[in-house]
Amino acid sequence: MLRVDDLAGTHAVAAAIAGLARPGDVIVLAGEMGAGKTAFAQGFGRALGVTEPITSPTFTLVHSYPCAGKLTLHHADLYRLDSSSDVDDLALHELAADNGIVLVEWGDVAAASLGDHIEVRLAHPLDTDDPEAAGDIGEFGDTGGREIELSATGSLWAGRWDRLSRAVEAYRC
Amino acid sequence: MLILGIETATQQVGVAVGGHEGVIATFEVARGRRHAEILTPAIEFTLKQADIELAEISCIAVDVGPGLFTGMRVGLAAAKALAQALRIPMIGISSLDLLAFPCRHTDRVVVPVIDARKGEVFWSMYRQVPGGLQQVAAPTVGPVDDLVADLLARSQDVLCVGDGAERYRDEILDGYRCEISGPAYPPVGALVQLAHARALREEYLRPGEIEPVYLRAPDAQINWSVREERP
Repeated sequence: MLRVDDLAGTHAVAAAIAGLARPGDVIVLAGEMGAGKTAFAQGFGRALGVTEPITSPTFTLVHSYPCAGKLTLHHADLYRLDSSSDVDDLALHELAADNGIVLVEWGDVAAASLGDHIEVRLAHPLDTDDPEAAGDIGEFGDTGGREIELSATGSLWAGRWDRLSRAVEAYRC
Repeated sequence: MLILGIETATQQVGVAVGGHEGVIATFEVARGRRHAEILTPAIEFTLKQADIELAEISCIAVDVGPGLFTGMRVGLAAAKALAQALRIPMIGISSLDLLAFPCRHTDRVVVPVIDARKGEVFWSMYRQVPGGLQQVAAPTVGPVDDLVADLLARSQDVLCVGDGAERYRDEILDGYRCEISGPAYPPVGALVQLAHARALREEYLRPGEIEPVYLRAPDAQINWSVREERP
C-alpha cells in the first residue's frame, strides 16, 4: 500500500510504473469515480513523453497517444460497457501487442478478459466515510492525497516487481 | 459479374476484383497494420488500375475471420457500407478457408494457423476432395500447445500455413510429420475465387446477415456489482 499527499505524488508513482513499462503491457486502473484514475493516466502519459492533453475516455472508449519511438499509449475506459464481448471488441491485447501500452480504467470488472496485467487501485482516504464527497473532490481539480495499491496478475511483471517496489519505496505506508 | 473482395483479418490489408474471367487485380500490403488508412485508397486504386467503376461491382466479398479484431472491424464495416450503398449482396468467407485454398492440390492435411496474439492461435483442418478442399476440423482458438496436441493426435502428414504457423514454427515443427509453407496471410485473390463459386450458386447474404467470426470466450455480462463489494 502506498500513500501520496498530492497530485504530484500520484504523478510520481505513475511515472515510476511508466519507467518500467514495456510494449505489450496492460495496466488496469481501479477505483471509484474520482479516485484519480485519469490523474494517474496523465502522469503516466507525461512520463512516456505524451505532450497532448490526456482526457477521460469514458465516452470515447479508447484514446491513443503517440509516444517516443514507435510506442503508442492507449487509454481505455470500460465504464460504459455492459458485456465481456464489448470488452473483446476493443481488442485491447491487440493494441498492446502492436507496440502499445494499454491503461484500462475500470479494467478490474473484466480482468479475466485482459490477460496478464498489473492493477493500480486508487482510493481517496475519504472513500470509507463518504464516497460521494470523494467523488466530488475528484471531479473538480483534486489536489488531495490518495492511497495506491499495486498488484500483478500473471508473470509478465515478475522480473520487474522488485525494481517497481524500490521505485515507489518513498510512498510506502 | 464482378466481385470486389476485402480482406483485413490479419495485419494484411487486401483488395481484389474479379469474376467469370478470374481474378483481375489484387492489392496486398502486410506491413503497418494501418487498416483504416489503407483500405479505402486501396479499393480506389485497385478499381482504377483495373479500369472498373464501382457501379459495375455486383457483389462484395469479405473475409469474416477469425482474425484480429482491429483489422476485421475495419474491413467488415467498409464492406457492409459499400454493399448497402451500392444495393448489392455480400458473401462472407473464412480467413482459414482463404489460407488453405492455395494448398488444395496437396494430399496432406492442410492446417491454416492464424496468430491470435497472447500466445494463442486460430486453426482448422482441411483435406483434399474432388473439386477442392473439405474442412475436417472446425475452427478453434487456443494456446499453441493445444494445436500441437491436436496435430500429434492425428499423426498424419500435415502442411501448416499462415502467420501463426510462421510465428510458432519451432513449437509446431517439434516431433511429427509437418511442414510449414504456403501463404502467411489470407490471399485476397482466393477470396474472389471462392466467392465467385458461391455467387454462381447464388449463396448471397444481405449486409445485415454478415457476422464476424470471433471464436472468443462466450459473452458474459460485466459484473459491475464487484466494485460495491470492495472495502
